[in-house]
Amino acid sequence: MKSMFLFALSCTVATPLWAKPVVGAPAPAFSVVDSHGRTHTLADYKGRTVVLEWSNPDCPFVRKHYGAGNLQKQQADAAAQGVVWLTINSGAPGKQGHFDAAGANAWIARVGGKANAYLLDPDGRMGHAYDAKTTPHLYVIDGHGVLRYMGGIDSIQSADADDVAKATQYVPLALAELAAGKPVSVPTSEPYGCSVKYGAP
Amino acid sequence: MRFPYTFPPLFHRAVFALAYASPACAADETAFEPVRAELVAEHVALVPGGTSSLGVHLRHAPHWHSYWINPGDSGLPTTLAWSLPAGYTAGEVEWPVPKRFDVGGLHNIGYEGDVLLPVALKVPADAVAGSNAPLAVTVKWLACREECIPGKATLSLELPVAREMPRPDARVAAAFTTARLAQPQASAWSGSAHDGGARIAVRLAGAGLPSMSARLDAFVVQRKVVGNAPPSIRRDGDALLIEAARSEYFTRAPVDLDLVVTTTDGPAPRGWHVRVPYAAGTAPAN
Repeated sequence: MKSMFLFALSCTVATPLWAKPVVGAPAPAFSVVDSHGRTHTLADYKGRTVVLEWSNPDCPFVRKHYGAGNLQKQQADAAAQGVVWLTINSGAPGKQGHFDAAGANAWIARVGGKANAYLLDPDGRMGHAYDAKTTPHLYVIDGHGVLRYMGGIDSIQSADADDVAKATQYVPLALAELAAGKPVSVPTSEPYGCSVKYGAP
Repeated sequence: MRFPYTFPPLFHRAVFALAYASPACAADETAFEPVRAELVAEHVALVPGGTSSLGVHLRHAPHWHSYWINPGDSGLPTTLAWSLPAGYTAGEVEWPVPKRFDVGGLHNIGYEGDVLLPVALKVPADAVAGSNAPLAVTVKWLACREECIPGKATLSLELPVAREMPRPDARVAAAFTTARLAQPQASAWSGSAHDGGARIAVRLAGAGLPSMSARLDAFVVQRKVVGNAPPSIRRDGDALLIEAARSEYFTRAPVDLDLVVTTTDGPAPRGWHVRVPYAAGTAPAN
């Protein structure tokens, strides 16, 4: 019986369909066009820390953090430290929050977004590569291309803007620790929010 | 005595409050509200020193769902924050067996349709018969179809304190009966969870294991332990083997794994609760 069980286990410890991102390992490569038609790849930013933020303008959790000015502030603070911030919309055409380039640019102007670029990923390729599940869902990649943080935006899982000030904001924490040459104290947290509105596979 | 009790029949004193969701991001008063919430009590009065069953009744619009204590890949569990007279205490939500919702390749766990979330209310021994107890709860939920609308309602209910055992409230008897049938039953199974790194295997044995069926499912109460995709479930001799990928957000092994095994074989969904020790590394010896 023991050997049967071991056999069963060894059969199921298989390589997943696609490699999922792992903190401490190289982050998945990507090549995605932004709302101004420019292509961004991870390799473009070698030597710089990169933040990835999955977004859907109509998701109440995204609205919570933009409505409170939390994401704009984090983006501006990151820019001041030379960190690259990329916002990604993996919503499929016809799904809630899907943007074309003009829609994305109008939204950025309206909310005062301070990200370096807004990447349009309607086929969900980049989203699936990162296994992005929620909006928001945040990732921090160091200058060597290694994933250092993935997870939720902060420590209080709620839709209430009142909670923003009480919560620990994980990306600024990770950026400060990376800048100080320290290990990231919270390398993962469970993401929370709306599901990413992927198209049919 | 803060709420002097005069004389009407007990059931007239039970005031039910029906509240509607207030979507956090919609200013429009006519905005669609996917969940209605109501605070109900199983009996028409409370008894000093007794325990009474309350319930938050959530009614979901078709195709909308709210979430279990572990919501899965996205979503938020429904939360209750009570405001009770001094000496009264409310227990945790007694979560009914949940259902799986797979949306756009992501895996969620929760409820649709009508669901009652029961809570046990402890009444202090010095509650004064003849007085009224004002009970209030702020309920927060996230309702999703594919898109999501957060909701919040403060519900209140005033119940009289009676000298003798009160009768059940006929208006909510069916809802409480259904909720009771949907409670995961304590199981006498023994078992263990083994963390093989990429996957976690739970082996259950003992009397009364459900027969193998495609309608079996299993949900882990703790978050950040197993992935949320449906686990593989199979019989291995007398044992039931449940295997799931380890969560990519796994950070710490729990001491025990709390599992709810469910089946939709039969007229209504049923489930069992089992707590098994969690061990990293080696497979179990049989």
